[in-house]
Amino acid sequence: MKKIMNAPEAYTDDMLKGIYAAHDGMVKYVNDDLRCYCTAHKKEGKVAIITGGGTGHLPLFLGYVGDGLLDGCGVGGVFQSPSSEQIYNVAKEVEAGAGVLFLYGNYTGDIMNFDMAAEMLDMMDGIETRSIVGADDVLSNANVETRRGVAGIFFMYKCAGAKAAQMGTLDEVLAAAQKAKDNTRTVGFALTPCIIPEVGHSNFTLEENEMAFGMGIHGEPGVWNGPVKTARELAEESVKEILEDMPLDHGEEVCLLINGLGATSQEELYILSGSVTQLLKEKGIRVYRTFVGEYATSMEMAGASISVCRVADDEMKEWINMPVHTPFYTQV
Amino acid sequence: MEKYNSQNLDALFEGVAQIFAEKKEELCEMDARMGDGDLGLTMEKGYGALPGILRENAVDGDVGMSLMKAGMKMASVVPSTMGTLMSSGIMEGGKALKGQAELGASQMSAYLSAFSQGLQKRGKCQPGDRTILDAIDPAAKRAAAVCDMGADLPQVINAAWEGAKEGVEATKDMVPKFGKAAVHAAKAAGVPDQGAVAGLYMIEGLKRSIDS
Repeated sequence: MKKIMNAPEAYTDDMLKGIYAAHDGMVKYVNDDLRCYCTAHKKEGKVAIITGGGTGHLPLFLGYVGDGLLDGCGVGGVFQSPSSEQIYNVAKEVEAGAGVLFLYGNYTGDIMNFDMAAEMLDMMDGIETRSIVGADDVLSNANVETRRGVAGIFFMYKCAGAKAAQMGTLDEVLAAAQKAKDNTRTVGFALTPCIIPEVGHSNFTLEENEMAFGMGIHGEPGVWNGPVKTARELAEESVKEILEDMPLDHGEEVCLLINGLGATSQEELYILSGSVTQLLKEKGIRVYRTFVGEYATSMEMAGASISVCRVADDEMKEWINMPVHTPFYTQV
Repeated sequence: MEKYNSQNLDALFEGVAQIFAEKKEELCEMDARMGDGDLGLTMEKGYGALPGILRENAVDGDVGMSLMKAGMKMASVVPSTMGTLMSSGIMEGGKALKGQAELGASQMSAYLSAFSQGLQKRGKCQPGDRTILDAIDPAAKRAAAVCDMGADLPQVINAAWEGAKEGVEATKDMVPKFGKAAVHAAKAAGVPDQGAVAGLYMIEGLKRSIDS
């Protein structure tokens, strides 16, 4: 294991200290707990959106806390859920009189802790919450309810964040997130594994010319391991899986998100993006807007994911185009 | 004791802390055969911390709120799945007692029923799935039955204990559906579920406190 760090057990907290030092004035923590990550720009009367999840996926999850997106994040250890108490304390801080939306990935530990936090807010403070989970990873399960949430959650953040910035009600913000969820699908693949600092070695291996198609962002097994394919072949296989799950009509518009898992170069991401765009064009699907870069990583894992978000209506275009600014993500 | 309030609620859980300290190894060994092997550690750590947490988080005149807060703190002490389930049970139990100044026979019955519901909701499990619920659910039902007939607190907890014991026996014939135990289903036949045994000990610990 080669990592720039001070000690494996300090990985998460040292990272957080660096973030607060670099972005003082934009974000802060509460309750003397570095892992209770909150915006420093609280806006009264706005629905507060809170996310959370394990460390190891930057800019996910905390990187989307900022103007026009989210208000707080419970930060867990590497690939671990934040505690319900941390989520509760974040919610108490950022709640601004219009209720709280919990928006996070579909993982058992996270669900338990967010649900517990919601009950505490209801019982102890009378704060209203709604919850929705990202579950866009097509190959993680045939059952939509049990799919993992991966990079496609970006579109949920974007739509819900925009609706909240427009001062929508709690149920309207939830509906915006739901609309993005219903229209987003992702397929991902890994080329090399990543190492959890406190474990010290990767929990799976891939041969020099081997890749894992459909692998999850924590190294959950994919649908096949085999020789590395070309960008065009990967685009074809991924888009096929996405369209089988979410059929698109000729002439429909989509947003495309080509996401790097951490160790894959931007050059490669653009090669992949070009292949996917060309393929969609051949199928008569119009790409309305393309996002290329690192949106949800798995530390130093190499690989990428392809997310397609069907543009359901003009309202969704407006949400997706709304400018946002956080320490990790700016869209003008 | 006949009744507890938010100032001496810690004493009700001292017996639970004691019993899990005594049974830690036994539970870990049972769990190692079927799962992660950390069940005893989780129970000992979580319930060991609970009396202290209750002392620090007592809400005057409200046993429900005190339990709710303590459950939340306990979740941070034991963040594993089992720890979260225990914390959920305590919090749900606290929710059922919100606003109550004392915990006596009827409140104990309500606490156990809510604890059982909390497990079902958070763990998405049903009676018969071979989990801790298979001890807690019969315990809660038995407690409710005697409570309706006017039993006092020691009688209520004794009935719960009898129910939990029978529940543990019944798990010997159940097929595991959850966690690593489901992978080792064949090994489970004829052996009581370790989670249910932990549930029995939890009730036994409450009984020990109440009877002392």
